[in-house]
Amino acid sequence: MITFILRRLLMLVPVLVGLTVIMFAIARLLPGDPVGLAAGPNATAAERAALAAEFGLDRPVWEQYGTYVAGLVQGDFATSLLTRRPVAADLAAYLPATLELVLAAMLLAVGLGIPLGLLTALWRNRWPDYLSQVLAIGAISMPRFFLGLLLQLCFAMWLNWLPLAGRLPIIVFPPDPITGFITIDAALTGQWDVLRTALLHLLMPALALSLSPLATIMRMMRSSTIEVMGQDYVMTARALGLPRHLILTRTIARNAVSATLTVIGLYFGWLLGGTVLVETVFDWPGLGLYATKAILSQDMMPVIGVALVIGLLFVFANLLIDLAYGLINPKVRYS
Amino acid sequence: MTQRRGRKAPRSFPRHGVRHVTHAFNISRRGLLAMAGAGLASATLPAALFAQQGRNILIIASGQDIPNFDPHVASGYSASFLMRNVYDPLVRVAGESAEPVPGLAQSWENSEDGLVWTFQLNPDAVFHSGAPVTAADVVYSFERALRLAKGNSWMIRGIVQPGQIEAVDDHTVRFTLDAPFAAFLAVMPWIFVAEQAQVEANLGEDDGQTWLMSNEAGSGPFTVERFQVGTMYYLARAENAWQPEGGNLDGVIWQIVRETATQRLMLQRGEAHVAVDLTSEDMDALEGAPGVVRVIEPEYRTFSIKMNTAQGPMADVNLRRAISHAVDYEAILASAGYAELMTGPLPNGIFGFDPDLDVPRQDLDKAREYLAQTEWAEGGLTLRMVHVSGLEQQRRWSLILLDNLRALNIGLEIQPLNWPDMVAACASPETFPDLFPVYQTANYGDPDNIAYAAYHSSRNGGWSNAVYANPEVDALIEAGRVETDPEKRAAIYLEFQKAVVADAPDIFGVLENRKLGLREAVQGYRFTPVASNAIEAWPLSL
Repeated sequence: MITFILRRLLMLVPVLVGLTVIMFAIARLLPGDPVGLAAGPNATAAERAALAAEFGLDRPVWEQYGTYVAGLVQGDFATSLLTRRPVAADLAAYLPATLELVLAAMLLAVGLGIPLGLLTALWRNRWPDYLSQVLAIGAISMPRFFLGLLLQLCFAMWLNWLPLAGRLPIIVFPPDPITGFITIDAALTGQWDVLRTALLHLLMPALALSLSPLATIMRMMRSSTIEVMGQDYVMTARALGLPRHLILTRTIARNAVSATLTVIGLYFGWLLGGTVLVETVFDWPGLGLYATKAILSQDMMPVIGVALVIGLLFVFANLLIDLAYGLINPKVRYS
Repeated sequence: MTQRRGRKAPRSFPRHGVRHVTHAFNISRRGLLAMAGAGLASATLPAALFAQQGRNILIIASGQDIPNFDPHVASGYSASFLMRNVYDPLVRVAGESAEPVPGLAQSWENSEDGLVWTFQLNPDAVFHSGAPVTAADVVYSFERALRLAKGNSWMIRGIVQPGQIEAVDDHTVRFTLDAPFAAFLAVMPWIFVAEQAQVEANLGEDDGQTWLMSNEAGSGPFTVERFQVGTMYYLARAENAWQPEGGNLDGVIWQIVRETATQRLMLQRGEAHVAVDLTSEDMDALEGAPGVVRVIEPEYRTFSIKMNTAQGPMADVNLRRAISHAVDYEAILASAGYAELMTGPLPNGIFGFDPDLDVPRQDLDKAREYLAQTEWAEGGLTLRMVHVSGLEQQRRWSLILLDNLRALNIGLEIQPLNWPDMVAACASPETFPDLFPVYQTANYGDPDNIAYAAYHSSRNGGWSNAVYANPEVDALIEAGRVETDPEKRAAIYLEFQKAVVADAPDIFGVLENRKLGLREAVQGYRFTPVASNAIEAWPLSL
């Protein structure tokens, strides 16, 4: 298993190389004038040239690429052309917010989607099943930003139960970063008030983000459960008179979850790159907003940095999923 | 220093990118519980909580982050907000006519020939470190700005040379210019003074840029107390704030709120005292809202459609005149929300502006007369117009033009582009489209600013004036720069406006009004038509 993990980690190298090459190529192929934009309308030609030289943009592309990769190896993600801040500092500030949101959404999606999928399979072709089907279609097809706005309207404006936006009220400062996740850091440092406030802020955006994966996971779980329920070993277990709850949890659920795991892994990556609308609606200071702003101003270093980080996380998430297969089903062998 | 006083050594910035501090702003446990607990409504009402504590903290909702604090590097209105409150310039700008008022300098004088400017620094002025502000700091800051050639330094480039700024004594600074510059006092508010000793102690390899990016060395009325990138910036009243007069604020919070509708909501609910990015629709919705004051004021910000005077059919001045007379200016105005029509190239109300200028208004007979003098007497050509994709107002203008030009049998191909692609299109007359809508914000309150940026040929290739070049107009702009006698100067700008209108390089559009929302509780606010969204907090009270 160790060799499996090592081999998978080694495979990261070509993935990262590929990502940087593609992103660099895109950055160069795009029409536009990032230097002119960053230098401003009052810059002289000489100043534009100086700015390009400062950021190495006057060099051949392969040389720029070499410099970038050399920096990357040392953890330097280069500097934003527009804000002149190191991209690594920005990533450190924005990534935890996005990760916290995505993980909370996945937690909701998995935590609710799997049991609901099981239940609807058991109630197959009865009204709860039909109801869940309708709701699932609604959840998948409703745009997330719209759902976010509806939630805001309902829970923040009318009912006034939840805060409108942000990670914390502006007068509450987050705990010292240990993980960068406000909730976890608050729990670790025992600041329960902060934890509670942070969770309340997290609830709506996480819900808005989670509904579509929740519905997919639920439907996946339902169909694989139904499939497993027809298998011979389930019949055997029943014939042997094993208690119903044991058959359900040990035999059926375990086998049905494996198929759903793949979807969970894919969704994780998809959510990481797809939070931007929810982040905008809820003023969540995350990667999506950061990347969008950079893309719109053709500030390519932050864009490449974000793509790399998301690519990396995606690969890691899928590695974890692969490992989880083995935990759930010991018959899975890593090779 | 961003460090909270009495706390341990500063955390190095790039490590986390965010300076986190453990506790809330000395809020009692009960206060926090009230916010977080059952009374969830109050979870989003920090303004009320501050008020309960007897602390006057102004909350400004803005969509723009402040990624860089360096006064000689950063640009953009959010950075201007920080600089105007944390740093001091020699001269500040205030009032409805954007007059120069004392900043670090308590008085100044200009020599007869307009070449020598002497500033007397206020002897009370001190940096946040406690050190007095000296003439040497001023010289250092101006030279650093010129050396780095970033941020606002273009305003003094070619006007003030390094080596021509002298510290005569501790509190006297003298600038010796090569040629008079009429807008000298107007650009002074945008060059800020940093403490030489602090910057030099943190010089690094980049002239202190890394350090000043997230630390400050200013003398302004506020200090950067805490911030979280992308979320909020808290400026606290400097303990040794030396500025005379001023309001009762203990601090200012610049809160990043990306949606303008959310900004409006926060204003209505009293969660923010000022919202700076409101749209015309937001202003309509705020009409009659209890406790809210709407500020809708003309600012020196023009919105025009530039024409390709150098290449293609539009190089024919008669075609440009024909089009200028075909446009339905009332429709243009109506689609611009809170705005007023421009009369010629200069912003309404700025020094030298001629309200009686004879500018094109919709007149199809005249338009056809001009068209008859071109090789397309019957129309039959198609022009290309670009606009920033997603900017609804620019799209509407394109459609108005499409409709208006049909009357002349001229077709219009409309192409939405991203802003970076629009900028790239300005590089040469060949790539520049026939029609190009653009906003132009005055960075300082002087006609020289817009005149130079939008009509001087030295700006060709950049987006503010991609192609238009007329030696006569250039000469007038240059003459307006160096003329120090106000009467003669006004006459030069009159001539300038006439010359530009005759060339018809632009379809003169609108001055969009600045739209701010304030809570009634905010006292002492006075509108200034330059950078009014970079709120100066010192005079304000709650």
